[in-house]
Amino acid sequence: MDDYLPLVVMFVLAVGFVLLSIASSKLLAPSRPTSAKDAPYESGIVPTRDNPERFPVTFYLVAMIFIVFDIEIIFLYPWAVIYRELGAFGLVEMLVFSVAVFVAFVYLISNGALDWGPLRRSRRLDGTLDGNRTSSSTIRRIPSRTQVEGEAAPPAAREEGASREAVAAGAAVGSTSEASTSTEVPV
Amino acid sequence: MTSTAAVLAQQGDLLVKPEVEWVAITPLLVLVGGSLLLLTLSALTTRRPRRGTYALFTVLTCAGAIIASVALWDRVQDPARGEFTALVGALTIDGFTVFFSVLIALSIALAALVADDYLRREDLEGPELYALMLLSGAGGIVMAMANDLIVVFLGLEILSIALYVMAGMHLRRVESQESAIKYFVLGAFSSAFLLYGIALVYGATGSTNLSEIAAFLSQNVLESEGLLLAGFALLLVGLGFKVAAVPFHVWTPDVYQGAPSPVTAFMASASKAAAFAALLRVFFSAFSNHASDWRPIIWVLAVLTMVVGAVLAVVQRDVKRMLAYSSINHAGFSLVAVHANTERGVAGALFYLLAYAFMVLGSFAVVTLVGRRGDAAHDVDDYRGLARERPVLALAFTVFLLSQAGVPLTAGFFAKFYVIGAAAEAESYALAVIAMVTAVISAFLYLRIIVTMYFAGDEAEGDAATGRHRVAIPFGAGVSLAAAVAFTLLIGILPGLVADFARDAVPVLLSAAP
Repeated sequence: MDDYLPLVVMFVLAVGFVLLSIASSKLLAPSRPTSAKDAPYESGIVPTRDNPERFPVTFYLVAMIFIVFDIEIIFLYPWAVIYRELGAFGLVEMLVFSVAVFVAFVYLISNGALDWGPLRRSRRLDGTLDGNRTSSSTIRRIPSRTQVEGEAAPPAAREEGASREAVAAGAAVGSTSEASTSTEVPV
Repeated sequence: MTSTAAVLAQQGDLLVKPEVEWVAITPLLVLVGGSLLLLTLSALTTRRPRRGTYALFTVLTCAGAIIASVALWDRVQDPARGEFTALVGALTIDGFTVFFSVLIALSIALAALVADDYLRREDLEGPELYALMLLSGAGGIVMAMANDLIVVFLGLEILSIALYVMAGMHLRRVESQESAIKYFVLGAFSSAFLLYGIALVYGATGSTNLSEIAAFLSQNVLESEGLLLAGFALLLVGLGFKVAAVPFHVWTPDVYQGAPSPVTAFMASASKAAAFAALLRVFFSAFSNHASDWRPIIWVLAVLTMVVGAVLAVVQRDVKRMLAYSSINHAGFSLVAVHANTERGVAGALFYLLAYAFMVLGSFAVVTLVGRRGDAAHDVDDYRGLARERPVLALAFTVFLLSQAGVPLTAGFFAKFYVIGAAAEAESYALAVIAMVTAVISAFLYLRIIVTMYFAGDEAEGDAATGRHRVAIPFGAGVSLAAAVAFTLLIGILPGLVADFARDAVPVLLSAAP
């Protein structure tokens, strides 16, 4: 049990340090709260308006695919270091592993994970999505406080605007920045 | 100072290259290979395949796995060759392994047949569910063949991660997404408990290998057992979560209710069986000489699980939720068999799990069909007049429900009979009495559904009045239902077939081959 004494001391010190820091900052630091300081995420510049551009969700897909293959590389490194010693056994195991990961890659590509163009009619989209749906026809943005006056257009005009943008979006590869900026320029 | 590469090169001569016995893991290879092949083929074909192709492929893969398992069965039952360990003692290949390989492969096949039409009906067609089911089943088999706590954990994760995705498979039902999140968060917690338990047991015994742990515990008396007992407790939490034992059952009703019905069928049969396989491997086989420590815990768990499952099932209105609670009750019965800690008890548990797999697969197949498009019509009232509308479907459901209630001439009767017999033999009479009482309580709920199907609703209240579509019985689900009914009745009339199989499948503990 004596072996654990340093651990207990360490634990007590850690807790003590935290308590001391909190208590001393409460006692010593001047308290001048502002609304920005009380925000849930107090970091960086205080946001004054919405993010003007939308991110295509494809960015996240690419990030996820990157992680999959990054992890594969992590497993390849130790094998590469001692591949001579492992010999045929290591080669077979690594091949099995690589084939499994490669199958995942083929699957991703066939599902259009790397297609960046406008929506294509593909096998996966039957029934659930169609090519006429664009970001402007499916997403209705809730205007922020500064935008409320500008958005008071009658619904018919909006409908027209949306269809015009749909054409523009179809023409533009990427299709997000043009379509979204045209609706969200604050007046 | 030598570089890392040089150090590794020096150690190169010491590297022990594991001898991979490919024959030993053929059922696993077939399932995983089938899954990968399915994904590849579906990715490479541009046209939509004929209806049912994916399901047929899955069934064929499962048939391959069963054939491979039967070949292994001949080998392990042959007295000249017998059971053996593979992959440097990480896996045990014995009758137990083969039993669960067959059970899990059968569950996948029946669930895939039900899923075929379900996916088409819900506009979710694709190979993903089948591929995940095959992978998840492979994880379950890994759990059943594990001879090492780390391998148990590995199998559990392979099983669970695929299940989390499958639970959220229905993209347009919020309940499905909710169940996936709940299952994932709670499942990750329980995995952490299991892993901590493994760490503590390793700390107490110096090994994660089950046979080495057993050898250590039989040769040494621990001065202070705190670490080991805490390890037992945490392992029980982790595995108890997966088998849905009370008080670790809270996720079960929500997840079973929210998940797509064919996935629920798979969860209740294969996933539960795999968790029990791991429980038996770890506690019956490795920790058997500490039985006086863990048996009382299992006693409490079994009583709570049976009572809570039965009582809460009775007050449900949603049939899917009702079956979820009844599955908790059935887990309690299997725990009674585990508690006995005898070979007869284990054989009883195996019989129970196999019989229950067919009953529950059949029940959830009926629930899938009655749920109709949208997978939402699961209220008891939705079963009103089913007997008039679809007499055969109602009859099949009646068989499954009677079997779950334990009526003679069905599989459920002998399952309960063997379990209670094992408990009585182990002189835990109180447990046997409690088990029988909860069987009576839960019989009420099964009878309630049957009464609703046959006697509720008068003639005037037909389809036109309720405005529902007639329940469709597609081919795949029909085959699955017919197979489940056939097995339920066959086991009920000739229990010897499975009882012998289960008796020869009691897990053995082997030290690693030299």
